[in-house]
Order: sequence, then C-alpha cells, then structure tokens
Amino acid sequence: MNTISTPVRRLDAVEKTAGFTKYIADMDFGDFLYGKLFRSTRARARICTVKKPSLPDGYYIIDKNDVPGENAIHMINSDWPVFADEFVRFIGDSIALVVGPDKKIISKILSEIEVEYEDIPAVYTIDDSLALKGGVLHGKDNCYGDYTTVKGDPESAFSEAAQIYENTYETGLQEHIYMETQGVVGLWQDGKVNIHGSLQCPFYVRHSVTPVLGVEEDGVRIIQAPTGGAFGGKEHYPDILTTALAVAVNKLKKNIKIFYEREEDIVNTVKRHPSRIKIRTALDIDGNITAMDVDSIIDGGAYESCSCIVLQRVVFHATGVYDIPNVKCRGRAVVTNNVPSDAFRGFGAPQASFAIESHMNHLAEKTGVGSLDFKARYFQKKGSVTNTNGEIHEEVKLKEMVAKAKAMSDYDRKVKEYGKSSSKGIGFSLFNHGGAFTGNGEKEIINARIKVRKLKDNRVEIYVSNVEMGQGLLTTFSKIAAHTLEIPIENIIFMQQDTELVPDSGPTVASRSILIVGTLVGKASAKLKKQWVDGEEITVWQEYEAPKDVIPWNQETLQGDAYPAYSWGVNVVEVEFDKITCEIKIIGAWNVYDVGVPIDRLVVEGQIEGGLVQGLGWAYLEKMEIREGRIQQRTMADYVIPTSLDVPVMENDFVLNPYEESAFGAKGAGEIVHNGGAPAFLEAVQMSTGTQFNSIPLTPEKIMESLK
Amino acid sequence: MKQKINFTLNGKSVSVETDPLKRLIDLLRDDLSMISVKEGCGEGECGACSVLLNNEIVNSCLIPVGTIIGASIETVEGIRESESGKRIIDAFAVEGAVQCGYCTPGMMVGAEWILRKYDKPTPDEIRVALSGNLCRCTGYDMIINAVETAAKRGLK
Amino acid sequence: MSVSYRPESLDELLSLMSEKDLIPFAGGTDLMVQNAGVDGPDFSKDVVFLAHLKELKEIKREGNNLIIGSAATLSDIENHDDVPELLKKAVSEIAAPALRNRGTMGGNICNASPAGDSIPPLYVLDASFRLLSCKGERVLKAEGFFKGPGKTDRQKDEILKDVIVPLKEWNIRKYRKVGTRAANALTKCSITAAAKTKNGIIDDLSIAFGAVGPVIIRDKNIENKLIGLSVHDVKGKIDSIISDYSTVIVPIDDQRSTAVYRKKVCLNLLREFLKEHFSREM
Repeated sequence: MNTISTPVRRLDAVEKTAGFTKYIADMDFGDFLYGKLFRSTRARARICTVKKPSLPDGYYIIDKNDVPGENAIHMINSDWPVFADEFVRFIGDSIALVVGPDKKIISKILSEIEVEYEDIPAVYTIDDSLALKGGVLHGKDNCYGDYTTVKGDPESAFSEAAQIYENTYETGLQEHIYMETQGVVGLWQDGKVNIHGSLQCPFYVRHSVTPVLGVEEDGVRIIQAPTGGAFGGKEHYPDILTTALAVAVNKLKKNIKIFYEREEDIVNTVKRHPSRIKIRTALDIDGNITAMDVDSIIDGGAYESCSCIVLQRVVFHATGVYDIPNVKCRGRAVVTNNVPSDAFRGFGAPQASFAIESHMNHLAEKTGVGSLDFKARYFQKKGSVTNTNGEIHEEVKLKEMVAKAKAMSDYDRKVKEYGKSSSKGIGFSLFNHGGAFTGNGEKEIINARIKVRKLKDNRVEIYVSNVEMGQGLLTTFSKIAAHTLEIPIENIIFMQQDTELVPDSGPTVASRSILIVGTLVGKASAKLKKQWVDGEEITVWQEYEAPKDVIPWNQETLQGDAYPAYSWGVNVVEVEFDKITCEIKIIGAWNVYDVGVPIDRLVVEGQIEGGLVQGLGWAYLEKMEIREGRIQQRTMADYVIPTSLDVPVMENDFVLNPYEESAFGAKGAGEIVHNGGAPAFLEAVQMSTGTQFNSIPLTPEKIMESLK
Repeated sequence: MKQKINFTLNGKSVSVETDPLKRLIDLLRDDLSMISVKEGCGEGECGACSVLLNNEIVNSCLIPVGTIIGASIETVEGIRESESGKRIIDAFAVEGAVQCGYCTPGMMVGAEWILRKYDKPTPDEIRVALSGNLCRCTGYDMIINAVETAAKRGLK
Repeated sequence: MSVSYRPESLDELLSLMSEKDLIPFAGGTDLMVQNAGVDGPDFSKDVVFLAHLKELKEIKREGNNLIIGSAATLSDIENHDDVPELLKKAVSEIAAPALRNRGTMGGNICNASPAGDSIPPLYVLDASFRLLSCKGERVLKAEGFFKGPGKTDRQKDEILKDVIVPLKEWNIRKYRKVGTRAANALTKCSITAAAKTKNGIIDDLSIAFGAVGPVIIRDKNIENKLIGLSVHDVKGKIDSIISDYSTVIVPIDDQRSTAVYRKKVCLNLLREFLKEHFSREM
C-alpha cells in the first residue's frame, strides 16, 4: 500500500545526474567582473596603514570606505564587519575586495596591497581566551554567551553523593566540504543589487545586505541557485560574501562574481565549534545517578555569528536522552582569534551527544554494568521533565528502537564476544534532536508564512523560502502537497526561492523545514483542497501557529519547552582495530530512527547514511589543526573526508511515531543524523582496544599515544 | 601561444585554437558548454570533474589540452544519450543516489567506465572504481547500489 | 606565459631537451597541482609533453629484466601480467583510478617525493633507472638516482627513459601502505619487503620504508645481518634488527601524521614481517 513514506524518484534526480542542472558557476549572466577578497595575514592586529597599488583601467579595490550603510553584517549580532575597520581578528579576515576582468591581474593586485599591522598577542585556545590574553576581545569576559540551566537540586545531590565521577570530553573542528564551493553573483539590474547564490537562506542574505547598503527590504533581490551541498556552511557564511559583493555592485553598477577555489574555501570559511565538555556525576551507594553537572565550553572563533544559538543547543542537549533528576548545565561560547565557528549540521548537539554518551559509557564501566543496560535506566519517557523544566510531550520509543538495532546488528552476541583480545568492538549511541528554532523562536523571530497557488490548468505552485540543498526538500514538500491535494506529484511546481517571489518562511536550518514549513504546506494544501475549483486560479496563504500544549518558553531564564518535538535515533557501529598500525576499520553500521513518519523513506535514509558517514568522518578522519591561527590542513589532500572505501555498508530502519501537529506526522531529520556516529564509534574503539578515549578526532596517532 | 587542438567530444570532431596548457575542464566548461563537468577541488582529489578519455576515467582538472590531441573525450552530455547512460540515470533516481547532485555527473562517468569494463561488477569492485569520486551527501551506499542496478538491467 | 612542446619522436624530444631548459611532462598529475595558477597552470619554465611517445610507454621483458617505460601509466603497470607483485600492489594503491589512468611511474619517480609509492618497491627489487639524452644513456641504481626530497640526479637535458626491474624469484613478499584514509590517500609510512629462502636459509632479503626519510630508507648492512642465516635463527635477532632500523628511520611531523607514529608503525610492520616469515620452527 502506498503511503506518504513510499519512495518516489526525487524530482530533480534525473536532471542532476544527466548534467542539466545549472549551479551558480554554470549560469551565464552576460558580462561580468571577478571579485576576490583581500585578507588579513595576522590573527590579531591593528591595521595601521593600507597602501594600495596604482590600478590598471577597469580594476577596483572596494573597502570600508565604499560602504554606504553600516559596515556590519547583521546575523544574530553585528560584530562581524563587511570590511575590517581598525582591527583584524583572524587570519583570513576580509579587508577589501579586488574587482576586475582578469583573474591573473586581480591576483597581482592582491599581492601588491601592503598592510602595516601592529600585532597584538593573539588568543588561540579556550584557556587563553578565558584568561583574557592580550586584553579582552569581546564584552567583559570574552564570552559570546554564558548560559546556565538548573533542574531539581544538583547542589544537595552532590553533597550527598556516595561517589562522584568526572571526566572531560573534547571534539575538534570540522569543515563542511560541501562539494560545491561558495559562489555568489551580484548583478546591477532594475536599478538595484540582485544577488544569485548557493545559499541556505536567501532572506538571511537580504537581512544582512540591506543595512550595509542602507536600503529597505525591497532594495535588493536575492535569488537561490541550486545548491551543491551546504550542511550549515551556507547558512550565514554567504553573508560575508554577499555584503562585500553588494557594496561593490552598488558602487560600480557592474555584474560581479565571487567564486571560491577549494583551498580558499577550506581555509577561510566557518567551521564546526570545537568543544570541551566536563561532566561531573553524582552516584548513590547503589551506583544510580542522582545528579549531573555539565560544563560546556565551545570555541566560537573570531566573530560571534551564531555561536550563542549553537551554545544553547549544546546546553539543551547536555544530558542527551536521559532523564537525570538533578542537573546543572552551564555553557560558554568564547571568542578566539581562530577562524570563526558557525552552523554545521547538528549545531552543538553532536558535541553534546559525544560527551554525554561517552560519559554514560564510562559510568557504566565504572559501576560494572553493560552500557546499554545502564543507559536504559534513565531513558526519557513521555512526561519526563527536561533540563529546562519543560516536558517531553511525545511517546519515546527508545526501547523499541534499541531492540530493533540490536536485532539488526546482532549486538548481544558481539558485545559478549568482542573486546581487546579479538581487537573488535561494537558501540551503541542514543540521541535526540529538538526540531526547529528554540523555544518561541518560531513565532517571535521567524513567524513563517507560505503560500500555495493553484493555476488555471490545475497545477499547484508552492512558495516557500526553504531551499533544496540535497536534503530532498523539493521532493518532500511536493509530496506533502500532492498527497494532501490528491493530485499527481508532476502537477506540483516548487517555485524558486527569490525574495521578490516567495514569502519568508524562515531559513533552511535547525531541522525545521519539514516540521514547521512542511506542516504549513500541508495545511495550506488542505485548505486549497476544500476550496478547489477546476479551471480557477486560487491562492492560499498559511501562517505559522505555535503548538498549543507546550510549556511556554522564557528566553531570559531559559525555562520551558526548548523544542516542540524531538526526533530520536540509535546508531550501532562495529569496528576492527589493527594493533600494528592503530588504524580502525569500520566494518558495520546500523541505524534506527524515529522521525515521526518519514515523508519519503529513501530520502530520509539518504540523510541517515550521509549523516552517519559525516559524523564518522568527524570522529576519526577529519583532522583540522590550527597553529598560531593558521589552518594546517588546507587542501582536500590533507583534510580528508571518507571515500567509498572508508565506509561500511549501512542498514537502516524506522520506528513510526507520528507527531500530531505536523504534516503526516513528520519530524525533522536533517541534523539528528550527525549526532550519533562519533560516540558509537568511540565506544566501539574503546572495546576493541581496551582503552578509554575522551576526544575526537580519534586518529591512529592518538590511539597509539594512549596505548603507550 | 595558441595551437590547434583536434579531438573528438562525445563522438563529434572538435577543433579549437587555444593555449595547449589550458586545463581540459576549462576548455570543456567555458568554450564547449559542457557544464556537467564540475570543479570541486582543482587538485584531482574529488572526481567531480571526471570525464572519459579513450574510455578511461580521468580528472579533467589535471589535463592540459595539448595532451589530448586525437583523443576521444566523453562527458555526461554524451553518455546520457546512450542506452547505458539512460540506464544509469534511471538507476540513480530509483536508488536514491542523488542528493545535492554536485558529485553526480562525475559518479555517472565513473559508472559508465565501470560498466564498460565489467558486465557484473561486485559492490567491492564498484567501490574501488569510485574511490576517487567523493560525495559528502550520500555516504556512498546508494550510489553503489545504483551502479549495481544499472549493471543488472544492462544484462538482459 | 609558458610554451609547451609536443615532439613527434624520441629523438626530437632529446633534441629539445638539449636545446632548452624544459619541464618533462608525462601524466602531469603532480605537475598540474604543484604549478596550479590563478587561471590555469602557471609553469616557471616551458613544458614538453612526452606521454604520447610510444618508445616511452612500453612494458616488455628483456631476458631476466622487465623494462617499464617511464610514460607507462600506473594503470598500465597495475594491469600488466609481468609486473612483479610488489610493484603492482604498491602502484594499485596510489591515489585513485582516475589519477592512475594518467599518472606515470616515471613521473612518480622523478617527482621524488619521500612519499612516492612506486619508489620503495623499486629499491627492494634492485631496479635501475635509465636516463637518456642526446649525449647517450646512463643507468643508475636507486641510491645513485634519488638525492633528496624532490631531487634526483637527472640532468636538465636528460629524460628518464625507462626503469629496469630484475625479475628475481622472491618467495616472500610484503607490502603495506598506511595512508591518511582507505583510498585516494597520501602515505604516512610504508613497508616493502621481499625475501628468498632456500632449504631454510635466507638467500636474499630486501626491505625498504617509504615516507619516513628524505629518501626511501633501505639499509643493506642491516639486511646482510640476516642473509645467510637459517630461518629459525632469526627469532633471536629480531629485537636487534628492530633497533638497527630504529636508528635509520627518520620521519618528521607534518600535517598528515607524526614522527613518533610513523616510526613506531614502521617498526611494528617490520616486526610483524620478521615474526610471520622467519621465526617459526621449520
């Protein structure tokens, strides 16, 4: 029987495979100039002078003096300038944009711009930042954010504890390596700046470009181009390019392209926040957890971007899927002179999940209990109080998911047989992910609106601002509409995300697209079905409505329901340890998910598999070191992501758990899929080596060092 | 210093006057409109620029056109017109092997390459053959399945 | 702006090489990356293409030697029946198929990266390198040919014509490359080893380590300590052999790996090789 979950061919699969799809670099915009950023070579310095060479005809250097409006990029805050003013804060900080027709001459000009810097002692580590080395960089304490949540009475619980166990977990940088590098094109058309780009959030770009140009919302037009992968790397980062681009196009009234080469992309774009999470647990005399104290610090890099929101996720997911009676969570995001960190799939939850899962494994070992059995005692249930004193409103199907995953992976046998003597290990992670913007953000910050428009020929257009970036949104939204309207999917037209064409239904982030916007598409389609008249044009608008049965969120105190619904996941990873080289071979992976109801099984499985591989890459292959502010792995030869030979064959299954408030019961899936790979991998490696590890990337070098 | 470079592109004779040190990817994309050939890294690491040169898969970002005189170059623009190409496109769609699509034309070239060599490639053989084509979205399983499916369908 | 030449014959190539200071360009998979410019490659000198010359692509037997043309691609070598197993294995793990279809062993050799993967087997197999110019030919052994990272004894007017690989009968072979990932990987360290035993005696032994020194590490003095021994006498010598190699393996820290790791892994691989093949009772 065909349900919504029954896979269809993705609507864009044929044109993409056959090479018809035009990405931004494939598009013809007529005459254009190239733009390339001139960047700081210092991690922290005052700019004393900038000496520009004399320029040949047709070449320009655009800088802070050309900004008609504010020299500030409006993200959550506006600390990141379009062009560095007096200070530079990381190697790669934009100082100017060189524009012209020939790349070679642009390159020559870039090499001839002379900057006199006055170096300031730079901050490269969390500890240096907290110590305010070189003088405070941000606020009073170098913290972009400092949040604390308390549930119950952790202080008393700790004072009464029979045992206290503490450990610290660390995770490293991760670079998105979307296969299509950053690219934006600015056109002077209709008397204003028009920007086409590989983007996740056209309206974020409009929001940041308009104050820079000093114009109203309709003073710029932003148009999405098909996007070759993003993973959070095109959520805010394009704002850095588009603001500089807009200033140049506005001044020169010419078309300009900024395309990143791969090395430029790896070295200068935003990264996943490195984390250091200390978890302290109080146990009673029977080895039961009575309290936890989680202290998380993330490295936000040189500018805030969305560090505070990532930090919130780190804090809200601090105890994972466990209902701990007394919990204190503190999180800080600190400034450093490293490349800025920003959104990356999971957005703080992978870091938190890594820490809590590893910690629970260590507690289990310490108390002599199998890790899964230990964890199962604390599984959240419907009605469980969260760390922000909200509630889990849905049925929690972890037990069923665990049973499925165990059966699929033959876990029970392997966990008995495997270990140091066999050099084999199997790891099991459990995790969740709150869908959509935190708390009341969907209403207060976004307030999504969408429209569907029935044409006279009975085809239906969908107008949303959420983009197809590989996650299958074009197909799943079309499915939601088609199934609701009971018309063939071929009759659905997914309109291009053009800020002059579509309403703002919010950014393509936070695992909100299906959950929030897909729901609006479903509701609008249902309304349209009721009003349907063959041969007539009908438009239906739909606006976001906050779910009713939630505990209201207070953004000041961080109390209440942080998220309306959670997706849940279980990953099992099997490894083999090579004693000679300390290399790990991943020989199997099994994944079970509760995403409510998958809008398309194959689409969600694609996310599951891709997310797991990306999470595993982060766990053991993707090493990125920064020395004196300079990234050491600068090419795809040195920053290695998994190849087809680095990954196991994966097996996936679902547990259905429809969410009442959404279209067809679907919940988010885009990010949760990255939350479980690393801790499952780590547990498996620990089993196979008989050694405890607390940080990733867990490279063979690190394993060897720990085994000494 | 321009030179005449003659070769065949997707079965048709081509003659261009160009710098022999120009990269093949640039000639294909900029001068011959073969936009299926994508630049993912410019250093031969990712395979997004894969084309067939005399039936063998190569990275066009590393090839100066002065070295392809008389050669047969095939891109997805050509491969998609053949029965094999159509089978591959269909298999990719059916198996969920396409997400953002940026690596996909390169994967298609890889698939065509393998299927010309093997009637019944095993999953391991497919993985080795595609080990130079990187994908960040799919985790590879569905792509491997797609090539297997295309092979099976081609056996009738 | 560099000029490129495409000689029609080997003679024309040698003429050009003697007249001008040219970069010999075979597959170009290293050269195109090293000389990447802003708008296409940017070479410091003029370039001469040579991969199309039939005389440089042949792989053929000559008596007890296999002659491998410098412009034979890594794929050609990987798929050729007569190529010794050790060399075949090493070549098959270089980069990825698309690069092996263009890259040549000649290029891998003349690029002389300490991590060049075809080179250690050539040391172990006692290969010779034939350099050719208008003035004539010179044949060098590996030790005389490789001078340091990126440096060989090839003179400006010379090309590497081919590699002469003796087809010895080894009955014990080992090759293992440890890379940054399972495929398409740069080498952190590697071991290539070959031995011939007869009636329980080690007749011949050859061991080389890659990516752990400015050139490939091969030490005949240490090998000679084992040659002539009976197989089960080796067991007592393993620790001292490991210790000997420990002094000649001199890796560095870089963005791919650490000196400590590379050294330890090499010695682990060596111990595994010696234990596996030489310490059992016959």
